[in-house]
Amino acid sequence: MNLKHSLIVLLITAAISLVGNFVGYQISIIEAIPGMLILVAISIAGIALAKVLPGNIPSVAYIVTLSTIMTVPGFPGAATISGLVGKVNFLALATPILGYAGIYTGKNLDSLKKTGWKIIMLALFVIFGTYIGSAIIADVVLRIIGQI
Amino acid sequence: MKNVKLHLLVLGLIIISEFIGVISIPIGIGTIVLLPMLFAMILGVFLTPKFLNIAKQKEMDDASSLIGLTLMLLMAKYGTNIGPTLPKILASSPALILQEFGNLGTVLFGVPIAVYIGLKREAIGGAHSIAREGNVALIGERFGLDSPEGEGVLGVYIVGTVFGTIFVGLMASLLAAYTPLHPYSLAMASGVGSASMMTAGVASLVAMFPEMEEMLTAFGATSNMLSGLDGIYMSIWLALPLSERLYKKFYKLKYGELPEPPVTREIKEEK
Repeated sequence: MNLKHSLIVLLITAAISLVGNFVGYQISIIEAIPGMLILVAISIAGIALAKVLPGNIPSVAYIVTLSTIMTVPGFPGAATISGLVGKVNFLALATPILGYAGIYTGKNLDSLKKTGWKIIMLALFVIFGTYIGSAIIADVVLRIIGQI
Repeated sequence: MKNVKLHLLVLGLIIISEFIGVISIPIGIGTIVLLPMLFAMILGVFLTPKFLNIAKQKEMDDASSLIGLTLMLLMAKYGTNIGPTLPKILASSPALILQEFGNLGTVLFGVPIAVYIGLKREAIGGAHSIAREGNVALIGERFGLDSPEGEGVLGVYIVGTVFGTIFVGLMASLLAAYTPLHPYSLAMASGVGSASMMTAGVASLVAMFPEMEEMLTAFGATSNMLSGLDGIYMSIWLALPLSERLYKKFYKLKYGELPEPPVTREIKEEK
């Protein structure tokens, strides 16, 4: 997919998210547009950097790094950027992804049927295992270093 | 991207899901939180050919190629929550780094259960990680995806894809309600290496503790990035060897004899 296509898809997703942001969180579309455009700009910049820079680093890494740097206290305009992006609820951004994911999941239903109940049970224990394992370690360490 | 129908369908899903909004179901001392994102996913599945057949094969194919891109805006948003909280994130870095080893919980829980319910070498593939794309590639390379190990990893991958987000979301809200684990710890734990599962976990926590939103999302996103970085090395160096050892131990416990030695692709090729 070239940059132009990526940009169009990002703008479509952004538009859908703005509607969700209004319906679910009562933030007017006009008010949220600047913040949303900042997110689109950061995303497209990250995608472009991943294409240009060597090392085969995924664009997601550039995107998160860019948006982190731009909002670190002390970065010029950090507070303004945070304020504008704050008008975009993160749940409103997550819902469209799961909408696309739901439609895509339809493709997997046949394979799921073929998967036996034993594997299904195993999968749930596996997810539970990583979750509880990380949560307990994090809790113990956070208490030891006094962050909670 | 030219599939206008797909985007309109998603727009419809979003309007309905966001209109329903967050539903909190009080149970005993805690609350189960059902989020619009879960409704969007479930309604999305209902549009596909097995059910209402409004979204056809073409929409499903196009949706699968778009998911990566639709995630980008959310990732950018996560970054803007990490920035302002960076000092606190850095102060918590020992916890963030060490909790990555909690990912071995997949092996500690998964392998004994798998052997107990009668799975054989599927257990190695299925329990060494939460079976995201990188892990499927790893098992494919080492054992071949047509092997029992391959069957295990693909099975867990599919189940994770279909139920993972819902499951992590529910687990986060239940653990937050019923255990003394701090929401920060649960947010870090949500970063299992899948952006949608992490978002479901973190979002459930945010719905319960809205005043902590910035920290919870920042911890979740940072932990998820770490899992993305270390995940495959963790699998190669720690999780797979540990799975093999535990498998032998529990196999002997259950069947009274040692299992057959593993057949890797190298061995197959030598034969």
